[in-house]
Amino acid sequence: MADELTPDEALDKIDYRPRSSSEPRNWLDTTKSVQIRPGMYCYAAKPESVETLGLPNARAWNPTDEDWKLPENWQEILHNGIKERLERFRTFKIFMDVCVRCGACADKCHFFLGTGDPKNMPVLRAELLRSIYRNDFTLAGKILKKLPGGQRLLGARDLTLDALKEMWYYFFQCTECRRCSVFCPYGIDTAEITIMGRELLNLIGLNIDWIATPVSNCYQTGNHLGIQPHAFKDMLDFFVEDIEEITGVNCAPQYQKKGADILFVTPSGDVFADPGTYTCQGYLILFKYLKEKYGLDVTWSTYASEGGNFGFFTSHETMKRLNAKMYAEARRLGVKWILGGECGHMWRVIHQYMDTMNGPADFMEVPVNPITGTRFDNAASTKMVHITEFTADLIKHGKLELDKSRNANRIMTFHDSCNPARGMGLLEEPRYVIKACVDQFYEMPPNTIREQTFCCGSGAGLNAGENMELRMAGALPRANALKYVHEKFGVNTLGTICAIDRAALSTLCEYWVPECEVAGVHELVGNALILPGEKERTEDLRMEPLPGVEEE
Amino acid sequence: MKQTIKKNRNQLLESWFHATINTYPEESARVLGKKSDRFDNPVGAVTRESLEDVLTLVTESFGREGLEKALDPVIRIRAVQAFNPADAVSFVFALKEIGESVIEKADIIKFYRLVDEIALAAFNRYMKCREDIFLLKATESKRRIHHAFERAGLVAELSEGDLLGSKKS
Repeated sequence: MADELTPDEALDKIDYRPRSSSEPRNWLDTTKSVQIRPGMYCYAAKPESVETLGLPNARAWNPTDEDWKLPENWQEILHNGIKERLERFRTFKIFMDVCVRCGACADKCHFFLGTGDPKNMPVLRAELLRSIYRNDFTLAGKILKKLPGGQRLLGARDLTLDALKEMWYYFFQCTECRRCSVFCPYGIDTAEITIMGRELLNLIGLNIDWIATPVSNCYQTGNHLGIQPHAFKDMLDFFVEDIEEITGVNCAPQYQKKGADILFVTPSGDVFADPGTYTCQGYLILFKYLKEKYGLDVTWSTYASEGGNFGFFTSHETMKRLNAKMYAEARRLGVKWILGGECGHMWRVIHQYMDTMNGPADFMEVPVNPITGTRFDNAASTKMVHITEFTADLIKHGKLELDKSRNANRIMTFHDSCNPARGMGLLEEPRYVIKACVDQFYEMPPNTIREQTFCCGSGAGLNAGENMELRMAGALPRANALKYVHEKFGVNTLGTICAIDRAALSTLCEYWVPECEVAGVHELVGNALILPGEKERTEDLRMEPLPGVEEE
Repeated sequence: MKQTIKKNRNQLLESWFHATINTYPEESARVLGKKSDRFDNPVGAVTRESLEDVLTLVTESFGREGLEKALDPVIRIRAVQAFNPADAVSFVFALKEIGESVIEKADIIKFYRLVDEIALAAFNRYMKCREDIFLLKATESKRRIHHAFERAGLVAELSEGDLLGSKKS
């Protein structure tokens, strides 16, 4: 690769002997190499879920079967799909043309580093699609494919069934985390190639169920788990009871309140999955505090009950349909702006796509924190603010009364979630909030955090159970850094601001670093925040004794 | 024999490390075999450290438990990669051939037995890791989602805690 050799050295090493097409090192020769291995792939989308969304070719199929039950003209559909997208998305066209295969990205992908599978090098994953593009859409390809050895020379290949299966296998071994793009000298966003690849696969009905069913649920019911409004409210009511038991204060939220200042939307994982549930309790405590002290009027919605957007992993159109619900609800309720919970990919959707999909949201106001007067110009068009920006602002202005000692059992580090970190540059705020809530904080090594953060290995819809080997292999680089700070500084808690992370990193810890557990940032806030009129707390939000209390 | 291993430890380690890394596809082995930052190349770093620990351990007095502990990091990685069970632990046997060049003839049977002992420990550890994976597959969603519903009283049945006994949840 380019970082190993100077140009002169590289030229010296060129082997001028022609290769035969049967040579085993020809990676483009896929017929022998595609093995769809259990543990590495997710189950196929259920036909009912594909039907709900009106997406094509809904049928039961199995990736390990020879016959994928594709439409007869699947090649034509894909060809037209590629053509249309090359015309529509300039980035896609550039990313197909511009790569020089320098290899700078090759060893930057957590899936490559963890699985050791060369086709998980971002450059090779992208080449799966790029080779088809070269073959069918470039002049050189059209000429060269007629000559013997011409395809090989150009790195082109035909769109065969094996090539298709390989694309499916590897585009669902990418979490669209964009770490590779940080190192690309051309700034190629390899995640966008995966996004486009998956969108194309969806044209012939090749989605996975861990994405298709949550999308269908979200479209029909409002959240990924398909939890209906009354059950959503039941869960929050239950949190309210728990908080009252711990603090003595009733933190009941408001739902669908017309004319509220702020609509709060969070991923449903915070409401329905541990340990996100404790983060959710943190939000409830914060909103109660702000209501009592400053009269802030926040409403929840059982209609816009999902901040996450698995449509993002399906197609641009599907992403747009799901994203629209939050804005429709904000319009209906007449709120001033939207506050978003601790979520990962939701923020890439908001920050990078919302504005051109459903924006500008000019029926709302540019978000201003009514308590501090801070104007969030970064959200001037989308009107949506990340809760760690909001809370960090409150802390900075001394508006929150926090008792750090209640988190004294936590020795923290922070995992930058890929999308908030690389997708919107949210690096300092979560750290600022954590440091205001706990005393002991240690960073993981610099090449594993901030812009260079390693993915949890389960993002972009890959947080299923059946692909556990893939997830754990992909999690290795993150776990390796966590284990280091655990051994060196005694870190016992991994903080994070993403619902998928809260679930996925918990499993990562169980396999790789069982001494660590995962906590959302607002769980720490919820523990530390001193509510007006609260009783003396003896338990944290997990109903475990507070530090110091257990000894009494 | 222990003295010979101690004396030739670096040479044995280098050869064993390369034999292990070469179980990966060629294009990957080039990257994973590099001596780069341990956080940029966890497979390479952890493999090296683990093999080093094993070679240190076998020159001292050791039991199977100690061997398993030393092997755990490298086996834990190979247990989730594309290796079949035999290939996942085959790197241990590479040590036999590597040792032949340095171990004295009289000790070679003893050395082979030592490698067999390492292999058995590796097999134990491999199975343990696979069981961990299957347990995670079987219980992850139940523990994360079902547990929240259980706490809320929205569902009622035997809890995961009851079913798993004392296993940490």
